Amino acid sequence: MKTSRMSRRTVLRGLGATAIGLPLLEEMIVSESRGAIQSAVPERAFNVFFGLGIPAPLQSEGFDGVLEPLKPLREKLLLLRNVDQVRCDESGINAHFDGATGAFTAEPPQGEAKSGGASIDQVVRRTYHPNGLPPGMVPTLVAGTFFRRSRVGRYVHSYNDDGTVAASMQERPREVFERVFGSVNLSRGTDVRRDRLKRSVLDSVIDQYRFYTGKNSPLGSASKSRVTDHLDRIREFEQRAYEMKERPQGAPSLPPVSQLAHGGQADPGGQGIDMRLADLTAEWRLMADLYALAIELDRVRFGSITFLAAGERLRLTGDYEYHGRLIYQFDDAKELNASGDLGCSHEWWHRFRPEKKNTQLRAHAHMKMREIAYFLSRLDESKDANGKSILENSMITVSTESGDGRHNDPQRELSGVFHAISGANGRFKTGQIMDLGREGLDLYNTMLDAMGAKDYLGPVDRERRLVHSIRA
Amino acid sequence: MFVANAMPLRSFVFWAIVVSLHLKASILLAEQADGEANARLKKTAARRVVDGLVVFYDFSSSTGSIVKDRAGVGKPIDLKVEAMSSVRRKAGSLEVIGDTLIGSDGSARRLSTVIRRGGEITIEAWVKPANTRQAGPARIVTLSRNGSNRNVTLGQDGDRYDVRFRTTSRSANGLPSISSPRQSVQPKLIHLVYIRGRKGQAALFLNGDRKVSGQVPGATSNWDDDYKFALANEWGGGRAWRGTYHLVAVYKRDLSPREIEQNFRAGPNANSPAPALAKRDLRSEHFQTKIAPLLAHHCLECHDSTAQQGGLDLSKKRKALAGGDSGVAIVAGNSADSLLWNTVDSDEMPHDRPPLSDREKRALQAWIDDGAAWSIQQIDPAIYAHSGQENQNWLRRLTVPEYIESVKSALGVDITSEARELLPRDLRADGFSNTAYNLNVDLKHVESYARLAEIIVERVDVIAFARTFSKRQRFTDKDMGNLISKMGKRILRGPINEREIIAYRGISTTTAGSGGDYEEAISHILEAMLQSPRFIYRIENQVGDGSLEPVDEYELASRISYIVWGGPPDDELVRAAESGDLFDSQQAAAQVERMLDDSRAIEHSSRFVAEWLNLDRLGSLQPNRQRYPDWNPALAGDMREETLAFFHDVVWRQNRPLADLLNAQVTYATPRLAQHYGLQGQGQVIEADDDLLRYDLTTDPARGGILTQGSLLTVGGDEASMVTRGLLVMHDFLRGVVKDPPPGINTTPIPTKAGLTQRSIAMDRIGNSNCGGCHAKFEPLAFGLEKFDGLGAVHERDEHGNDLRQDGQILVPGTAKPVPYQSIAELMDLLAKNDRVNQSITWKLTQFALGRPLVAIDAAAVEEIHRVAKRNGGTYRSLLKAIVASDLVQMTRTEVEQVD
Repeated sequence: MKTSRMSRRTVLRGLGATAIGLPLLEEMIVSESRGAIQSAVPERAFNVFFGLGIPAPLQSEGFDGVLEPLKPLREKLLLLRNVDQVRCDESGINAHFDGATGAFTAEPPQGEAKSGGASIDQVVRRTYHPNGLPPGMVPTLVAGTFFRRSRVGRYVHSYNDDGTVAASMQERPREVFERVFGSVNLSRGTDVRRDRLKRSVLDSVIDQYRFYTGKNSPLGSASKSRVTDHLDRIREFEQRAYEMKERPQGAPSLPPVSQLAHGGQADPGGQGIDMRLADLTAEWRLMADLYALAIELDRVRFGSITFLAAGERLRLTGDYEYHGRLIYQFDDAKELNASGDLGCSHEWWHRFRPEKKNTQLRAHAHMKMREIAYFLSRLDESKDANGKSILENSMITVSTESGDGRHNDPQRELSGVFHAISGANGRFKTGQIMDLGREGLDLYNTMLDAMGAKDYLGPVDRERRLVHSIRA
Repeated sequence: MFVANAMPLRSFVFWAIVVSLHLKASILLAEQADGEANARLKKTAARRVVDGLVVFYDFSSSTGSIVKDRAGVGKPIDLKVEAMSSVRRKAGSLEVIGDTLIGSDGSARRLSTVIRRGGEITIEAWVKPANTRQAGPARIVTLSRNGSNRNVTLGQDGDRYDVRFRTTSRSANGLPSISSPRQSVQPKLIHLVYIRGRKGQAALFLNGDRKVSGQVPGATSNWDDDYKFALANEWGGGRAWRGTYHLVAVYKRDLSPREIEQNFRAGPNANSPAPALAKRDLRSEHFQTKIAPLLAHHCLECHDSTAQQGGLDLSKKRKALAGGDSGVAIVAGNSADSLLWNTVDSDEMPHDRPPLSDREKRALQAWIDDGAAWSIQQIDPAIYAHSGQENQNWLRRLTVPEYIESVKSALGVDITSEARELLPRDLRADGFSNTAYNLNVDLKHVESYARLAEIIVERVDVIAFARTFSKRQRFTDKDMGNLISKMGKRILRGPINEREIIAYRGISTTTAGSGGDYEEAISHILEAMLQSPRFIYRIENQVGDGSLEPVDEYELASRISYIVWGGPPDDELVRAAESGDLFDSQQAAAQVERMLDDSRAIEHSSRFVAEWLNLDRLGSLQPNRQRYPDWNPALAGDMREETLAFFHDVVWRQNRPLADLLNAQVTYATPRLAQHYGLQGQGQVIEADDDLLRYDLTTDPARGGILTQGSLLTVGGDEASMVTRGLLVMHDFLRGVVKDPPPGINTTPIPTKAGLTQRSIAMDRIGNSNCGGCHAKFEPLAFGLEKFDGLGAVHERDEHGNDLRQDGQILVPGTAKPVPYQSIAELMDLLAKNDRVNQSITWKLTQFALGRPLVAIDAAAVEEIHRVAKRNGGTYRSLLKAIVASDLVQMTRTEVEQVD
């Protein structure tokens, strides 16, 4: 797969003679960006996750080490070291899937596929859109390029209040495209009468779902919230099915079919898979482009994106270059002299020793930062009405699962978890690296407080300890 | 017979003093009661029955227009007096002296719903009629809409009391009614009780005596939740009753004669039952819900019966209170002298684990200071594995297989291929992909349901299908409504109400208005039904008073059919539901037996075993080519088929106990798999066109039982990890709980080499003080599997030439003594005989049946299921029947309706 960046113009160039019909929402094709024509900058919140973490000693090297790729964005980010997710550090914790669930929620999980509470993006979403997003928007977009699965917490990073996932994971670029820009696959034609009858069917379906979300519903709160979600999806379906124009010239093109492993093939029993760096970054960047485009066109304001899962297991090969400089030639299995899980890059984290060079881990972590920076840079290219970039205006939180690369920190695995946040339209300081020495819960609640959220994370009786030092 | 002789005041005062102050207020009232009744009233100052109470009015306020519902359960159904000039209020009574209505503000939905679902009721009233002439019947208690539409009404018709009760065999007006004998009514204080049981048995009791009995057949599914509750008149007027109310109560069950007698003895002025309802064994509950999970999470890793570090076992009451090597750990009533508290308070414990939170510490200290009440004999950490999810009641979306089966059953259309292609996969959570909380919905689902509905309807002969419900192919309201009602009942797995009929009728109207014909209208209605929440989800009532309530007949039928078949009920099951047979345990068991003979039951059991053992994992098996150059990817599919065929043989062909899955000396293999395994002898052809041959393993020392099959052995990866295999046995067969390693531990697996086998590496881990506490619990479980390589082939030596062994020992969770074994076969026999293994299978199948992880409050019911199933042979059949008969299926935990 060719490594190429998809600009908005590229996407909008269209397919010409391609027969794939992809009607667009009206607001999408008539405006550069819905946000751009609004006087007010919309509130947005996104969680950006990368797998396996950055050992705390390497974070202390600042931009001279593995964080180098973030350097061009340093004025627009606040790098936070020494953030502890100790609330998630329950007895017998698994730093990978349990720790990852704590990213953006600061709570230990409640079940294999549930977090311990809402993620910060969803708290902000609920604050600003308690009755749902404006028509045509995707309420929450969850996407990512990842392979290790086994547990949802490894790769999903947007959660509802009740700990269930806030939206289904879109793990292929084409899925993201269809989720954000596609029309629904309803057999429609030019027969107005037939459409009217189909609409009548849908109206009846909506009425039924509405009943079960109403005051006479026989359902309990969890079930009602599930049916409410379903109703929201039906309304989205309705909008796409009946209120879209046919695809005009210049509509986005459908991304190519992914060539990488997905589903069960991507995670053969935790044994890891072979992966070429070029293939990995090509798919990720396509994903990142589409996600950024969705934000730029104001189709998405909340959600999360994942670059490699918690505890990811890849046997990576390929030359890793940064700005024309060869950083490393990856060949994990060969260097580790092992197959299966033991031949995966994950093992470099197991082997981390502060007193050693940790060359391979550094190269992998550097590469991850390069790709995270790629996504952030895409958000920095697009300006909102106030002249600032989307990156500057949004609450972007970058985090990961573990602060020590697992297994080698003498204290706890979830202490010193790397975080970086954007300015959120002047709410937070940027251009600094800060040693916070605070819990993730306090950091997140401070962010939510600054965003004007009504709800907070953590136990209701826990004293709220805001971290004023991060506020602008 | 209640005779109208007044009791002398003198006697009454004597009675009141002797009996109880509780009945003090009864003195003046009982002045008017007859001697016989008073004699019985005098016997005891009984406490009123509170179990099943739904509404309760004691008229205790002497002022205002509101009559408070003091049941203390759910949202109160308070009543308002329409005309205050028509009543006289005193503390403990309300006298109606003119025409008025004392009614609810809006529908009494909570009341109607619970009776509709349960089909049983008790209406109780302490009243004094003003005369014996009022009729109509004059409404004493009514739950109705107007003079001709009611759920139930207790009234006075001249000198009789009369009860109208709506069922599917009674009119909308509840007729024919049940009446007391002539001259039952006297202008005296009387205790009236009407009961109606789930199987239709009804009776009227006056002053504790049964005066009339009869049958009110039919189901209560036609009760209307929108009806309102009232006293003293009918909604819309015209049926006024005059007299005095002292107490009115409605229960969601039919009280027994003994309980009715008890309430009669409690008298007309019993206090509000709310305090009685609230009275529970709080200390016992506190231990089970707070302290036991705390000990399980923080302490039992090192201080259970297996580890007993420091000689301390905190999993068992007797041993915990006895203490350990350092002395007494828990001094009841005195945390300061309790070693447990002191070490926890100082964060010395848990050792090498995060300390307890402040809240947990406070709870622990308070428990000790409060007497360290210990309400269970042994704490099993497995039942607390999902603590925190007790109060979440998720409705279940149909899984993809359930959707396919539901379509097939309802419409005869096989949509397998399209549904599997269009619908997103259901993801595994907590071991199964039918876990309700994880069955969420994305835009893709909605789109797929719409498209699938179109495809399904295109394949249905709509006219012929409609004709099975109605011959009259007309658009008239009556005919179309009749068709929709019958068709909807089939497709939506239960009767549909007027609101739904109107909604679907709207589609036919629109179609007709657009020039469409009958066939087109029905097609669109079917499309709508197939996308409705009642088809996509298994909708059940979840609202009530917060207690366990019986599911209704259609919910029960659906629960049973989805448990046994993974699909909707058939006509016979619906018939059994509607006749009430399903509420009879023996008849319900007979239904399950019948259903188990259907091929759908076999298919569904295959889904269970595939999910339980995660057989889908085999589809992505990618062993290292260099290490396993002879690997043929088709073997992965063969291994899956082997396990499914083996399960089918043990469960269905031989009807053996499920425990035999561990050591049955038989397997099924393709020639390719037989060669891979090195199976000896000729396989037996069972199905002529099947590649799988049946192999007798009685002479094969290495194989026999599910754990010796490639489908499970491959879980250990290329290296045949003893950690992973041991954890598989621990988690999936012994329901053990093992936590992840503490921080700071290097968990990098050590490769084998000459002189270093997986076993010797494991022994090193077990000998390591940081690792051994946990690894000793599960790695020895895999020792017996050492001869199997990562792909399940048997070897006497590993690739380095090291000899491989098969001896070891097992340590069952909750026990202290390991049991040694010398061979694979011996290990399998030990596991098969072990009750913990049997219990684990019960837990797994129960979880799959319910579609949710089991939590601590389920433990007693699961234990009962296990006991009953074991008594009946421990087979799949007996287990399913026990599950269906359990409260976990028969009842539902309701949520209290939100108070506005």
